[in-house]
Amino acid sequence: MARMKFLCDAERCIECNGCVTACKNENEIPWGVNRRRVVTLNDGLPGEKSMSVACMHCSDAPCMAVCPVDCFYKTSEGVVLHDKDLCIGCGYCFYACPFGAPQFPQDGAFGLRGKMDKCTFCAGGPEQDHSAAEFRKYGRNRLAEGKLPACAEMCSTKALLGGDGDVIADIYRTRVTTRGKGSDVWGWGTAYGKPETQAPAQPQPGAKS
Amino acid sequence: MHRKSVAQWLVRFFVALAVLLLPQALAQAQEQKAVQQGAAQQPGAAQGQPAEAQRQATQPGNNAPMWRDVRSGDINAYQTTQVRGRETNILIQTEGEMWRRVRNGPVTVYGGWLVVIAFLVILLFYWRRGEIMLHEPRTGREILRFTSWERIVHWTTAIVFVILAVSGIFMLFGRYVLLPIFGYPIFSALTVLGKNLHNFLGPLFVVCTLLMVFTFIRDNFFRSYDWTWLRKFGDFLKGRHVPAGRFNAGEKIWFWLGVLTLGAVVSVTGLVLDFPNFGQTRETMQVANVIHAVAAVGYIALSLGHIYLGTIGLEGSYDAMRHGTVDEAWAKEHHDIWYREVVAGRERPAGSSPTGAPASAMKEGGKA
Repeated sequence: MARMKFLCDAERCIECNGCVTACKNENEIPWGVNRRRVVTLNDGLPGEKSMSVACMHCSDAPCMAVCPVDCFYKTSEGVVLHDKDLCIGCGYCFYACPFGAPQFPQDGAFGLRGKMDKCTFCAGGPEQDHSAAEFRKYGRNRLAEGKLPACAEMCSTKALLGGDGDVIADIYRTRVTTRGKGSDVWGWGTAYGKPETQAPAQPQPGAKS
Repeated sequence: MHRKSVAQWLVRFFVALAVLLLPQALAQAQEQKAVQQGAAQQPGAAQGQPAEAQRQATQPGNNAPMWRDVRSGDINAYQTTQVRGRETNILIQTEGEMWRRVRNGPVTVYGGWLVVIAFLVILLFYWRRGEIMLHEPRTGREILRFTSWERIVHWTTAIVFVILAVSGIFMLFGRYVLLPIFGYPIFSALTVLGKNLHNFLGPLFVVCTLLMVFTFIRDNFFRSYDWTWLRKFGDFLKGRHVPAGRFNAGEKIWFWLGVLTLGAVVSVTGLVLDFPNFGQTRETMQVANVIHAVAAVGYIALSLGHIYLGTIGLEGSYDAMRHGTVDEAWAKEHHDIWYREVVAGRERPAGSSPTGAPASAMKEGGKA
């Protein structure tokens, strides 16, 4: 069985927020709730990188561990889902999650947060597949339609990958090992030091040009 | 007399209100401080920046310094997002895992056993010793021990406390203990009810705690004879006579440690958790949650002792708070110093009016 995973390639993400929009549209998420968001690191500085982040469907999910009513469950494909009918809206999953994935429709006084909402890997919820109740509570069940998550499927630069962990790992490994050339190749600088100090060094016979 | 008590009550109310509003003011001050700190962090972030820029120059494509910063959860001014909301620009918050380990670990395990063991110790004591009975026969003369105001404050606090304790136990231990019994749908429905009762009655408990403190603080200051009582605690449990004022040393400890200290701790941390609309960070709420849970479990464990001695543990003690009066024999045996003061007229019977004559408070015959 496939183990579903997300992977965001920071070398490719251009912070277009298309994944955020695709997710909102596909799942008809209410205002104020963002199952996915793009975070930009070193914004405006050399080495700026962007990352799209949502629920990462952890193997040892902290949200599952702290839920007082144990409303989370993991599918056979490793997708972490939850039952909104059981959710009490306490916010503990939000405290525990490293990625800030759990969302609440409200932020009211007296702890009135409403039912938690989060990325479902486009896999719906405990209701009958493709039922109206499932769509209303959890959004589209694309996995049951044989499709992958909408965010990853529409990513214009294919920075965001979603699907079987083995396949994604292969794609990413190929990218990393073939990306750039010469001293731009990943790991070159780490292995051989500064590019500018290489050239003046004594030319070795048979050295790469 | 009536006008005076109303004025007294108003003074108490406004003092309570002032103390109640204090945490909010503090939270706002903290928020402002955090904003200032955030602004102050910018130069620091810029300082960290050259490390990444330098690495880019020497080792293109090696983003290790940046990812280290992300992983550590350190946030700087150059980490942004288009998604609005609190802390949305944080990619990874690492404190959550620590909170999970502390809450699911020691707090749940040791806290749970503390409550269970406290209950079992009391059960064992009741089984071995039984109820502590009066030694002298009842005289039939009743002394006013608690005014109606004191009883209203006590019982409001007590009922709210029990609801908060039970719903809190549902949220902390229910998953392990009650969920297997009730099953998912019923346990969830009960916990939804418990969570909302907890969140709406919590602020009322803050008010109750303040009223408790203002109502009972006068007779809870420690006196020299309280040390004798503490030394002879074993004798007290054996039902022998030990000296005590209006409240004995045990009750005073319950007042200062339980009602006042733990009450204040659960109140402040509870308000932080109950009003996420003020924009507290996750880290603030994690810390508040752990402190809240630890204090609450300790409070519950202590309360078991108080409830036991106030009901089935000590003959006549429940009637004192239920009806407000105690038999003279009971007063003489358990609170002899208070009894002598009441009889001598130096002490008002139950803290109503200092000029109230003790004779007027004494009633012949049965309970009111």
